[in-house]
Amino acid sequence: MLCNEAQRVQAYFDGELESGESVVIEQHLVHCGACAALIRDLQSTRDALREQVSYYAASDRLRGRVMQSIGGESAPQPKRRLLSDRHFWWGIGAGFAPAAIAAALLVTVNTPASTDQMAADLLNAHLRSLVSNHLIDVASSDQHTVKPWFAGHADVSPPAVDFPQSDYRLVGGRVDYVNGHRAAVVVYRHGAHVINVFAWPGDAEAAPQLTTHNGYHIACWRSGDLESCAVSDTAIDELLALTQLLKNSQG
Amino acid sequence: MDEKRRKFEMQALPHLDAAYNFARWLTRSPVEAEDIVQEAMLRAFRSFDGFRGTDVKPWLLTIVRNCFITSHDRKPDLPVSEADGADPAFTDAAPDPEAVAISADHVRKLNLLVATIPGEFREVLILREMEDLSYRDIARITGTPIGTVMSRLARARAMLKEAWLDRVEGARNAVQ
Repeated sequence: MLCNEAQRVQAYFDGELESGESVVIEQHLVHCGACAALIRDLQSTRDALREQVSYYAASDRLRGRVMQSIGGESAPQPKRRLLSDRHFWWGIGAGFAPAAIAAALLVTVNTPASTDQMAADLLNAHLRSLVSNHLIDVASSDQHTVKPWFAGHADVSPPAVDFPQSDYRLVGGRVDYVNGHRAAVVVYRHGAHVINVFAWPGDAEAAPQLTTHNGYHIACWRSGDLESCAVSDTAIDELLALTQLLKNSQG
Repeated sequence: MDEKRRKFEMQALPHLDAAYNFARWLTRSPVEAEDIVQEAMLRAFRSFDGFRGTDVKPWLLTIVRNCFITSHDRKPDLPVSEADGADPAFTDAAPDPEAVAISADHVRKLNLLVATIPGEFREVLILREMEDLSYRDIARITGTPIGTVMSRLARARAMLKEAWLDRVEGARNAVQ
């Protein structure tokens, strides 16, 4: 038997009511047995749909097809453009609009090989994470939070290790796109610098071992089936020190 | 890479899973869902210059739904496919669901229950519960008033609950 308030109870459950109305419904739920039961039913249907019914993720094949058809649409560019500048952080610190910085810092670079393509993609993903307010999806310095989060959101679940004895602080993780791959990204801070560590299932594609573009360093390595690349504008020795810590932790 | 493509990859591509999941639940066919998503992403890319909003996901899902409708005007409605868990054992007596951990079998049966909910109810259920979209976004995507979204959502939830209860009670009777 449904109460006349059933529709508002549903809206309350879906977070669609103004706070004043929510209070009215909360009071109503205290003494209406039918609506209290409705809330329990809504919750169990939601739990079933979110936890037990399949969420179908796009396959890598579909992702590839989509990238290819979009690639076919965009006009071929003679030169690749990269966002970059070693003083990037100062700009952020000074509070300039990120888009204005991005526009002002467009640099044209000739990059012929596929390794360079990947380096450019990694660098773009790194810069994108800094300008788009999408640095982290899961904010945590706890490796037991970050690693399981990847299990539900990315194709790989790289070690998200915190190194409390070092200057590298684990700040969280996110999912990003590099060269058509869905990559798990572990984010560290080293002083004022952000270090993005991208990881995806290793395949035949060549990742650069160590390269520098406009003041940003990219260091890649493979461990088992995992391809990893660390990107930052921190000093190269400091970037390599982190990759060494990560390699050691991967055994 | 040109600016439009870079922007598209940054803003629209992260919703590819949502696009596919929605198409997959609309069509109930993996093959058809992939074709629809590819078509939808291409249409989205072509009209991306004209996109002035801030929320890409509802915009993209609207295009997915339009592509689905266009393709279904050409083709008859598909029966619920094998891939949704329509195994012949579906009508067999199940063990007491309360005693069963979430198994592949359980997931398959729940998938089938959702897949058999009529399309206009199923789509609001997927958009609300799986994509966590607001009534307003769902109304935009499905081209219906918010009141209709609310009543369809209530009906869809009730259908799923009833179907699930029937199964639970059927299983209890079978056990006794």
